[in-house]
Amino acid sequence: MRLKLGILALLSILVIGMVAMAAQPIELTFWGGWTGPDGDVMRALVDEYNSTHPDVHITFTTMQWTPLFTKFMTSAAVGNPPDILGMHGPDIPQFAALNLLTPLGNVISKAGFTATQFATAAWNGTFYNGVQYAFPLDLHMNAIYYNKTLFEKAGITPPTGWISGQQFLDMAIKLTIDKNGKHPNEPGFDPNNIVQYGFGLYSLNWHAFLQWYELLAQQGYGFLNQQNTKVDYPLDAGLKAWQWLQDLVFKYHVSPVGATNPLNDFLIGKTAMLEDGPWEIPACQAQKGLEWGTFPIPQVFEQKTVWGSGHVLTIPVQKDKAKIQAAEDFVIWLIKNSSKWALSGNIPALNAAREYAYSLPGRTGFLESAPYEVMLPRIPNEAEVFSAASVSPIVVAGQDIMVRDKDILPVMKWMNDQINQILSRGQ
Amino acid sequence: MRKNFRILIIPYLFLIPYLFTFIAFRFGPSIAGFFVSLTSWNIVGTPKFIGFSNYIELFNDPSFITSLINTLYFMVLTVPALIVLGLLIALLVDQNLKGRTITRTFVFMPYVIMSTVVGVIWMWIFDTHFGILNYYLSFFGIKPIAWLSSVNWAMPAVAITTIWWTVGFNMILFLAGLQDIPEELKEAARIDGASNWQIFWNVTFPLLRSTTVVVLMLTLINSFEVFDQVYVMTGGGPSMATLTVIQYMYFQAFQYFRLGYGSAVAYVVFAFLIVLVLIERQLLKKVGES
Repeated sequence: MRLKLGILALLSILVIGMVAMAAQPIELTFWGGWTGPDGDVMRALVDEYNSTHPDVHITFTTMQWTPLFTKFMTSAAVGNPPDILGMHGPDIPQFAALNLLTPLGNVISKAGFTATQFATAAWNGTFYNGVQYAFPLDLHMNAIYYNKTLFEKAGITPPTGWISGQQFLDMAIKLTIDKNGKHPNEPGFDPNNIVQYGFGLYSLNWHAFLQWYELLAQQGYGFLNQQNTKVDYPLDAGLKAWQWLQDLVFKYHVSPVGATNPLNDFLIGKTAMLEDGPWEIPACQAQKGLEWGTFPIPQVFEQKTVWGSGHVLTIPVQKDKAKIQAAEDFVIWLIKNSSKWALSGNIPALNAAREYAYSLPGRTGFLESAPYEVMLPRIPNEAEVFSAASVSPIVVAGQDIMVRDKDILPVMKWMNDQINQILSRGQ
Repeated sequence: MRKNFRILIIPYLFLIPYLFTFIAFRFGPSIAGFFVSLTSWNIVGTPKFIGFSNYIELFNDPSFITSLINTLYFMVLTVPALIVLGLLIALLVDQNLKGRTITRTFVFMPYVIMSTVVGVIWMWIFDTHFGILNYYLSFFGIKPIAWLSSVNWAMPAVAITTIWWTVGFNMILFLAGLQDIPEELKEAARIDGASNWQIFWNVTFPLLRSTTVVVLMLTLINSFEVFDQVYVMTGGGPSMATLTVIQYMYFQAFQYFRLGYGSAVAYVVFAFLIVLVLIERQLLKKVGES
């Protein structure tokens, strides 16, 4: 009798346990590098999914992209990667080459998504060696932010579309004022005592290179050869692109030398324009008293092109099929509901979702630029070739040219040699 | 016999928790790090043994040499200043003066601020065009200095920040040392007619020797391992003017995923520090003997 009761009790515990386990939602981890206000927007989307899908619970973790990828590599090495990982399109090759990402082409087509439903650059950015590894989430590219009040004071009507390099320079000169109220094109202008700069651009970090890269593309050239094994562009074109940037600082004095915080200078009204990406939209919105808008970067050369990138969503390789299925479901839901992601400043990749961005303030410049976006080449050792670290040749070259006013050609040749050395080493 | 055995074993039982963490998280990884330095490895996959290739590449790597020179330059800028200033402030706040407690607090306060916060604060102060430091300097007719974006000024700017941030720690150590010196010794010297300088040089300073050794050693090691404030303020730029060895190691290992190469940098740094400490100890021994 006692034995029977014991078995019964044991069975009851087992059944209750199994029922309880079955009722537990599937736990998923989602990592992304959205550490600013964009992280809050993504968190709100995750919360919405969690509240409407009781069978799944997603824990969203953010940290800066570089440490995030280190964390991903170490966690993948011990077989415990996140279930969903956000990254940029050009980041895909370095992880795909190590077989850390699940190919998603079938999942994407089963979900009913096709290339025509997405911005071309965003869709193309999800492939590596012909295999699709990610869902395209958004696009983000450079554009010009401008201070409406300072434009009004200078009597300038802000552009709404693409303008030429000369038109842009004329505006920047008008918006640059020294302490005696003179502009750079006036006699007696004092470049050592400028109280307001026309244009803030990044010269200390890797954005200097990106600004150069888009100007190279405006002349119809890429940075690497077709096989992505060697630097390959006409030096003359590279020189012209760097020269434009260097002149803005040292010849026309419309941009400060070595600005340490161009965004802040713009927010507090010390510079009238700023070249930056849409991730700064929340900062502009939060700045009290700042009236701002955006327009595309100037078309300095023959073609309209702008550097850009795009966030994508990947599913790292793992064995748990239930988790993979749950992760796919979430990502499909997220892409379908990505119109709200426009609140983060990024431009949704899905055409239908992008419509919403048009109704939001300050998006004009980015929406106008979206069709002309060029991304960086897609290579497995992207982390080293296009590194933002201070040892990176592209960063050092930008600083040498735009901060130290060095002779462009030798610096450019040095940069090319260094990049070729890294490329020859492989991943 | 049994009692002796217990006496012998019990202290080691107390040491086990520490030894365990030391071996698991310090000693073990240090040894493993050396083997990793002999491989080509990107965290994922199997490390490939390549012998001493990483070390050979390292000593032919101009960026590594630059980072080493920069680190030594940073040490020259900070170590003497941190020791002399730390001692001077400690001597000052050791006096029976009004407001000494508040001075101690103010000098030590920066040390409790997080390095990243310190970096951000000083980035604002050092801003070329709109920073407060250049604003004050303009009253003396000094043209704006590109503190963080000039190759010549970036490292001194980081050094100034570091001195402001950490001098309080050295002051506390020196203060503790000063308060250990019996007042009677100074009193006796004073009665013998010694001046304040003679009391300091012949009584106080010699008795501070062991404190000075500790402070010197800690300051040397901390300066050699400088990372946070450089990472936040300049990122190692402009044009690698503030790139330090630890930063270089970080970039190689955790941004470029060249774990073997990064470990080789770590081992060279380790060897360098050992040599540095040995030289420092020999010098102090000589000073002590003389």
